[in-house]
Amino acid sequence: MVYTRRTVWPLVLGIIMVAYAYLVQAGMLEPVIKFLGTGRITGEMQILGYTFGAIGIVIGLLQLLVPPKEGQGDYYLSMVGGVLFIMMVAFIVKWGLDPLMAQWGRQAQPALGFNFASVMNLNYVVMGILAGIIIVNVFKVPGWAENGVRLSRLGLKTGVILLGALYSLAELAQLGRLSVVLIGFFVLGSVGVVLWMGARRNMPNSMTGVLAAGVGVCGVSAAVASAPVVKAKSTEIAYTIGTILLFGVLCMFLFPIIGKAMGMGFIQFGAWAGTGILNSAQVAGAALAFQPNGIETLKVAEIFNITRVLFLPIIVLWLAVWYVRREVGAEKVDLVQVIVGKFPVFVLGFILMFALSSTGIFAPAQHYQGSYFDNSDKAMTTKDKDGKPVSKLLGDKDLAALQADAAKVQRQDQKAALQRLIQNKKLMSIDDDDTLRGVVNAKIMGKAANDVLTKAHRAVRHTAKKIAMFRDLIAWFFTFGLVGLGMQITMASIKQAGGQPLVVGSIVGVIKAVGSLIVVWLLVAETI
Amino acid sequence: MAEDKFDRGSALTVFKTDRHEDFMALVLSLVIALLVYLFV
Repeated sequence: MVYTRRTVWPLVLGIIMVAYAYLVQAGMLEPVIKFLGTGRITGEMQILGYTFGAIGIVIGLLQLLVPPKEGQGDYYLSMVGGVLFIMMVAFIVKWGLDPLMAQWGRQAQPALGFNFASVMNLNYVVMGILAGIIIVNVFKVPGWAENGVRLSRLGLKTGVILLGALYSLAELAQLGRLSVVLIGFFVLGSVGVVLWMGARRNMPNSMTGVLAAGVGVCGVSAAVASAPVVKAKSTEIAYTIGTILLFGVLCMFLFPIIGKAMGMGFIQFGAWAGTGILNSAQVAGAALAFQPNGIETLKVAEIFNITRVLFLPIIVLWLAVWYVRREVGAEKVDLVQVIVGKFPVFVLGFILMFALSSTGIFAPAQHYQGSYFDNSDKAMTTKDKDGKPVSKLLGDKDLAALQADAAKVQRQDQKAALQRLIQNKKLMSIDDDDTLRGVVNAKIMGKAANDVLTKAHRAVRHTAKKIAMFRDLIAWFFTFGLVGLGMQITMASIKQAGGQPLVVGSIVGVIKAVGSLIVVWLLVAETI
Repeated sequence: MAEDKFDRGSALTVFKTDRHEDFMALVLSLVIALLVYLFV
């Protein structure tokens, strides 16, 4: 079978990509880039545009000029068209739609009272899948791209392995015991209940597995990460994401109303939102809706949210073993033999990256997704354009601005943190940093003092370059994988999947929300 | 995309088996991790 189609399209896509990269490099797209706020990623636009463009031009010309012959060269080179096709869509999603939607979300926030783009998770993950679905159902995937589109799952698996680098064991150890116990109970419980209900309702194992991860752990990313583990179909991933987002939006509006009606404190509500709401952006949305002028609720909710995300490696392993057993029928065969034969190797890659990241080779071991606190002398010194060392300690003017407004701060913990900052000219601990972020958020002091507090915060918070690079790469692998997956979702396959996931997901979501409300109400005191 | 369009792999992958795909993803990730570790 000959796979290569003699078409001009890979060449055309290559030329468009190179032209785009050149226009970015020459500054001709400056107004568009400024409008979208994508100035930070112009380097990425050039590197990817030139690289994929050059590949498209060379391979496109080769395929046009040399008649294809059956063999390895034909098989592998014919994938280039599909890769370019997906990348073209991915460029539009990542460099166009994603920033555009984020901007619209921010602009509409004052009128709506919430950021719809953030709440509805309208980022590259969801838009990538949607773009793929629209293409396959409205326009069809062109024949010359079909072979390459089959590489999308490889992209997704590679992204999942690299995802392990964003987490570290030390971060898990730092979390409060209560959050680990509470989250552990509800995450593992939710996963268990979905697996049980899925089996009772005769749902396919792949559908049950991906829904369990989505409902149990952290929503969309967990669903995407676990999908290849249980060999979920594209439609099942789309259904799970739809269920999580719909249920999450409902929770985001209902949780603050219920919390206020019950007279919950900041810590109680933060713990409940962080445990009961399925998706990270919606957790933050609910916490901010509950306490718009402070950061205490958000902080607690974030701690619980991080704890939940850090359960992902455990859930991925659990689902891998569960799926292998269910598919083969473990009562008839040796489990060890089955696992050796069937266990998805890329899950081990994810665990390996998690282990490597925990050793601190990519970033200080206590990092979370690349962000870490460091106020050492070395970290508090930077270099100017000429390479001369510049101190990040607060200057006399900064200290004067803080002292001028210090009397406005009334709470004892905030007062103490502020005094320590003034004395040492830098933030002395993560707790002080969090406490003073609350002061900034509540606008207790004037603008000048708030700017100094923000400056002090930025001086001690660092982002590891290696982890930042991993994040960028993961985003690209996921976009590539999800656009390709979307291209496999036809309307017929959506109808075939039925409404089961929505029912099971909603039931378990409600059980989790009510269960965590009762536990938090009974166990969590305001003073933790 | 129908299964019979491809005589190698399946409708979802270009690789012979899932394990081939897993190993390829693992190798790709480790190469990327090494490059990030060395050059970033």
